[in-house]
Amino acid sequence: MDFKLDPADEAFRREVRAFLREHLPPDLAKRGASGFHPVRADQRRWQRTLYDRGWGAPNWPTQYGGTGWSHLRQFIFDEECALAGAPATDNGGLRMFAPVIYTYASDELKARLLPGILKGELYWGQGFSEPNAGSDLASLSARAIRDCDHYIVNGHKIWTTGAHTCDIIGLLVKTQPDAKQRGISFLCVEPGAAGITIRPIIDIGEAHSLNEVFFDNVRVPVSNLLGEENKGWTYAKAVLENERATSAEVPLNKRKLAQLRMIARQERSDGHRIIDLPGFAPRLAQLEVDLRALEWLTLRALTEKSEGTCLPYGSLLKVRGSELVQRIGELTIEALEQYGTYVYAEPGEDPDAKPVWPPGPDYAPGVTADFMYRRAATIYGGANEVQRSIIARSFLEL
Amino acid sequence: MDFRLTDEQEMLRDSARRFLEKECSLEQRRSAPTHGEFSGKRWTAFADMGWLAASLPEDCGGLGGDVVEAALIMEEFGRALVVDPFWGVGVLAAQTILAADREQARQLLPKLCAGELLPALAHHETQSRGVIEHVSLQARPAGKDAWTLHGHKTLVMGGNVANRFIVSARTAGGNRDRDGITLFMLDREAQGLKRQNVRLIDNRWAAELALDGVRVTSEHLLGEADQAYAALEHAHVHGLLTLCSEAVGVMERALWITRDYLRTRKQFGVTLNTFQALQHRMAEMLIELEVSRSVVYRAMAFLEMPSAERLAALSVTKARVGQSGRFICGQAIQLHGGIGVTEEYSIGHYFKRMTVIENELGSAQFHLEQLALRECAGPTPAVTAPHDSGAPT
Repeated sequence: MDFKLDPADEAFRREVRAFLREHLPPDLAKRGASGFHPVRADQRRWQRTLYDRGWGAPNWPTQYGGTGWSHLRQFIFDEECALAGAPATDNGGLRMFAPVIYTYASDELKARLLPGILKGELYWGQGFSEPNAGSDLASLSARAIRDCDHYIVNGHKIWTTGAHTCDIIGLLVKTQPDAKQRGISFLCVEPGAAGITIRPIIDIGEAHSLNEVFFDNVRVPVSNLLGEENKGWTYAKAVLENERATSAEVPLNKRKLAQLRMIARQERSDGHRIIDLPGFAPRLAQLEVDLRALEWLTLRALTEKSEGTCLPYGSLLKVRGSELVQRIGELTIEALEQYGTYVYAEPGEDPDAKPVWPPGPDYAPGVTADFMYRRAATIYGGANEVQRSIIARSFLEL
Repeated sequence: MDFRLTDEQEMLRDSARRFLEKECSLEQRRSAPTHGEFSGKRWTAFADMGWLAASLPEDCGGLGGDVVEAALIMEEFGRALVVDPFWGVGVLAAQTILAADREQARQLLPKLCAGELLPALAHHETQSRGVIEHVSLQARPAGKDAWTLHGHKTLVMGGNVANRFIVSARTAGGNRDRDGITLFMLDREAQGLKRQNVRLIDNRWAAELALDGVRVTSEHLLGEADQAYAALEHAHVHGLLTLCSEAVGVMERALWITRDYLRTRKQFGVTLNTFQALQHRMAEMLIELEVSRSVVYRAMAFLEMPSAERLAALSVTKARVGQSGRFICGQAIQLHGGIGVTEEYSIGHYFKRMTVIENELGSAQFHLEQLALRECAGPTPAVTAPHDSGAPT
């Protein structure tokens, strides 16, 4: 057993840190560290910077232009980026869809999709959930009927993050309506195609990242079918598994806890720093304890994953990671008092926007919006109750 | 970073598990611990298997392992709820001797490894809680290089069978000073030493010591006078880490015993495992177990860090393990229903062991408070001017 980080990995961390110091522009870092959803223009700029450094795809193998890094190095990289306030890169494209594309898609589709993701020119939306297919995803009913070299798609998707700014939607459709899992196919659809209507969903943080997407006789070329017809469920499961691998969101939680600590030392109550109030510091310490435990559970997951293991790490991490982000948010809002209750409107997609905000310290805008949005953390990626059922059935064999 | 056991470590764990399942089951030791008896035969077996030597250096008669080996053994002890004083003698006392004075360690530890010397660490006092430097037992000067000892020690683990006591005493400074603590090695029958054996709720035994003018000289010194804090901290760190490993063993076994019970017990015409409320509770128990195991690994990584960092890391670990342990073992009883609160059935004993662990070397609450104090001690960052309105700057 060896519990220490390899010196080479330590050196790698320093290298990443130095790179961020030099190449992460302050305006990007400022917006990245706020709780508002990342601005696409920032994501493009940052992804291009990473691409130029050869770090465009930390989780891909080198043959597709990835870094070929170990899981541990990817984690170190993510952590340093988050702590520096770098804009979140395109999780959907880079982490969830790309591995499925290079594993299952045709060479033609790979060549068409992967370089764009790598360079930050092609962004993904996830067209999985439907109004009547949430946790029970396999009961989806969007329908694709083959018509010569096209599919005609009809259906209604929901919770599609970034549909309004993405370049391609990974869409699950039924190609055999009577079969459940075995009748599902995976199509890559351009959101600008005729017959697609996108309707924004404003979340309780008054921010727009989610959408409903309606498909009305949309013609999708058969060449946009990922892998084989009726094998979509396999690919979808792989996508969701990719989502869960990073689901503790330790880097994000670290940044948020550091922010809370800073706020609690700054804000005052009747002359005392919030952190010095008798009840506050133990609650902060509890979050630190739980974050550290989660960090090391993640490290176990990352280093053991290559060995093949039976512990359901994805579900374990998902449950505690999503709870933690909510708990950190609760205490942060509390520490902000009035500033936690003011509406600081989301600046939106324009990075140069100068929103008119109510008074407050400059760390206040975005905190409450994100706190509200993160109520979804225990729901998205498979609700925590579903995760508990997975743990109970698959591992505990109950 | 590699969390896999080496082949040797795996062998150690497996042989410990086999031996303990065969020789130390709950049924076998039902009468012995109740009467405070100690099986010299079993202790010799521990020595023969190299458990007492596993985490000690070779020049002290050890096998050259580090804390990982003791932690593995303790995890197995936790699974089997072993009551023999391995922790008190083989970890706390042994590590105190090792860190106090290497020359004395070379003399004493080979005998400890052989199972002949059974020292117990008499450091804990009624107001210690988790504070290492809390020592109020007085060593009053009584001539050149001589003192008389006055005061009390509590929760001396294995004190009922120890043939030596390592007593921490205050030779200088106040009750909470790190300087001025001295260790004395006393014979079990030292004059002026009164011992009362105490059975703990988990059927392990400890002793309360009352020292009323016990006369000691420099002959009895373990390490240098006034300088014992570092050795006590070293032992405390090893003690905490192995205790938390033991707790992981306790939690893991309690979880699987409960899982098996849910699959067999029938109510309303079905086995209990079909109820989702119970499935989800068990999923939570597994998460708590694995979170705790992870945070024990983390503490291992901090062992050689500067004092403040490693103590903070151990506080993180003990806090989390204490909380998880209470949840898992409490729910283990709950999911069993009535049978869970009977003395005859095993699961309540896991709860009791966990309760003792929670009260040793500082509770979860104590360690959380230590971390909270660290949070408050941090500097306030430079004040950023509140913006009046409009654009972020």
